[in-house]
Formats: sequence, C-alpha cells, structure tokens
Amino acid sequence: MSTYVATCYTHLSAQLSCKRLRSAGCEARMMPVPRALSSSCGTCVRYEGEGAHRELLDADAEALYEVRGTEEYRLLWRDDTNP
Amino acid sequence: MKKINWLVVCTGAVVGLAALLLTMLGNPGNMGFCIACFLRDISGALGLHSAAKVQYIRPEIIGLVVGAAVMALAGGEFKARAGSAPALRFLLGAIVMVGALAFLGCPLRMVLRLGGGDVTAIAGLLGFIVGILAGVACLKKGFSLGRAYKVKSAEGFVLPGVMVGLLLLLLLAPGLLKFSQEGPGASHAFWAIALCAGLVCGALAQKSRLCMAGGIRDAVLFRDLHLLTGFVAIFLVVLVGSLLRGTFHPGLAVQPVAHHDYLWSFLGMAAAGWGSILLGGCPLRQLILAGEGNGDSAVTVLGMMVGAALSHNFGMAGNADAMTDGVFAPGGVGTAGRIGVVICLVLLAVISLANLHKEERV
Repeated sequence: MSTYVATCYTHLSAQLSCKRLRSAGCEARMMPVPRALSSSCGTCVRYEGEGAHRELLDADAEALYEVRGTEEYRLLWRDDTNP
Repeated sequence: MKKINWLVVCTGAVVGLAALLLTMLGNPGNMGFCIACFLRDISGALGLHSAAKVQYIRPEIIGLVVGAAVMALAGGEFKARAGSAPALRFLLGAIVMVGALAFLGCPLRMVLRLGGGDVTAIAGLLGFIVGILAGVACLKKGFSLGRAYKVKSAEGFVLPGVMVGLLLLLLLAPGLLKFSQEGPGASHAFWAIALCAGLVCGALAQKSRLCMAGGIRDAVLFRDLHLLTGFVAIFLVVLVGSLLRGTFHPGLAVQPVAHHDYLWSFLGMAAAGWGSILLGGCPLRQLILAGEGNGDSAVTVLGMMVGAALSHNFGMAGNADAMTDGVFAPGGVGTAGRIGVVICLVLLAVISLANLHKEERV
C-alpha cells in the first residue's frame, strides 16, 4: 500500500477525482496542495492504494506523485500538455 | 494542531510590521496596506474616476506585483497561464471591489482595522466569513471557472509590465497623472519606502501563498489552519504595534477611514468574500498570482480597477465618518452603494449557479 498525491488544475477536478478514488475503495481525502509541489493554493487529493490508479483521476488532473516520508514526493506522471 | 508553517506566520508578521511602518510614515490610519483602496487610488490617478480625494499611484501595489514576479522567477515558479473564464473573472474582480469599497477596505485592511482597534470592522469580518461560507458551499456543489492553460511568456508579464510602466509614469511623467491634494490619496509614505515595503511583502506572499480568503476557506473545507495563521499574525502584530505606539483606540467612535453602517459593511464584505472564493483568492492573492504570470489574475486586477472607478463614478463607495470641530458627521453607504451591493450579490448567485458542474447541479 502506497500513498499518493494528485494535483489538479481546479478544485472541481480534485473533487471528482476524490469521489472516483473513494468509489474504487481507496482511502482518499482532499487537502491544500503542499507548498513543496506548487505555488498554487489549490486543492489536491491524497490517497492510499495498491497502485496509483491514474485512470481514476479526472481529465483536469495536473500531476501525480508518490509520497515518500515527510514532504518527499516522487513524480509519477505530469500532464504533458501543460508542463 | 498540525505543524505550524512558520513562513506563513513570518509573512503575516512582516506584512503587519510594514503596514505599521507605512502608517507611521504617512499612509492613512489603519491603511498601511489596502489592495482595494490602493487600486482605487491608482484608477483615480489614471483619470478613470474623478473622486479628487483618492488619486495617487500607490507604489505598494507596484511592489507587491513586481516582488512576487521576481520571487517567482528566482524560484522557477513563474508560469504564464491563462484561459480560465477571463470575462467572468473581470466581472468578479469588479464585484469584489464594489463590495470592498462599500465597507472601505479589502480583507487585508479589514484585519489592519481590527488590529488598530476599529470595532466597526467586526461587521465586515462577519460578512466576509459568511461570504466565504457561501463560496465554499458553491465549491462543494461543483462550482468551477475551468482550468487555465499554458500560454506564451509575454502574457505572464503583462501586469508586472503595467506596474513597471506605472512606476515610470510616477517618477518620470507625473504631469500625466492626477494627485489628490487632500484626503486619503494625499496621505502617503515616501514612494521608495512604499515600493520597498511592497516588494518585500510581495516576495514573501508569493513564497508563503498568504491569502486572507484562502485561510478561512481552508479552515472550513479541510480543517487546515496554515494560511489562517498568516491572517492571525497580521492582526496580532498590528494590535501589539498599535498598543506600543499609543494609536490603539478601541471602540465605535470615529475610526480612521471607516463608517458605522454595519449592515452594508456586512453585505459589502460578504460580496467580497464570496467573490474571492469564486476567484480562488483575495485581492492580495490576485496581485501575487498575476505577478507569477497568471493572466487570469491580471484580468481580475484590471476588473478590480474598473470596479473601483465605477464605484466612485456612480457614488457606490462608502463615505467615512468624520468629526469636524467637535461635530460628528456620519458616513455610510448611500442608496447607490446599497443598490450596487445588492446587484453584486445577485450577480454572484447567478455566476455561481451558471458555473456548477452538471452532475452536481440541483
């Protein structure tokens, strides 16, 4: 079981991603985007799961990170249309 | 409580100290910073409105945007983005400004007023919280203005560039501008000090993401108090500073650039709070985001300047209480301002409903 953080372009996108992850059985919650990941003050989804489940994220998801320890994030995927 | 984010706390403390310093050096009472008032002053200096008492190019605003831009560039966080409902953001910027100017201050000045002992600002604080709760309810229902997209770098430099242009006008061609000879617009610290204060606060606000509306939003939505600590730090620093300076005069009596019209202060700041949540940040945050290259926030700031001009051209801005030769002259929000605030609240409801996610629409 790993912990992931998905950042999104909009609050709605985080909300929809969170809903889908929960429906799939992941323990997911919304939270402010960690400062280490972005200067944006938007919303992200933090969840635990067997695998990253990128397919469950909303179309307006921006990036996906695996959380390692405190404040350490490994980039798994980023929307390449908006680097 | 979770781990305290000291960067946010320190930023709040520095903003509070800078506000105290600017007030000591000439800015109006409890107005070391006020994004709404200062954008209104800039609108006046450019001739967009003709309220003679509130016309001056405020270097604090220039500093905030340029400071944020420099910090974002230095940290590799300057990203030109745009395309998230610019016309609606322009309108929302104007709405936030009409609400804030009815109260006589943006959310940041509201905190400064409270720290300085202005009890009349409590009505504004309550309205601001209620407005934020309305905005949060919209977010929970699926409100969204849509995402922004990567655009050419030039887009991101528009507002920082405009600010540099304003500074050049102030220093090199002041004859083209209007300057107040009396009133709040004539009260200001020396331009270089105001500019430096803005630069420092803008840079720190970019790094810490300080936001008056975001603090309450995150506390309500996520039980996360990080941003709110900055809000509290500003209040405490100004409170202690005012006590030490002997300028803390708690009460409802005539307060600097403030009025007793509690209902319309409440409703004005409710509009400002609601609009700020729909925009994703308070007026200060919009300046910082524009400095980071966000074209949508730049459009919002331009909307705020137009909103300020309309506010004064149509007599919607609040009038401050005054005491002249021992005679009290009550201020407040006139009929035009009341109609304006009601229209703003109706527009906020319409914009909110029109932008709900379809699956969530009720």
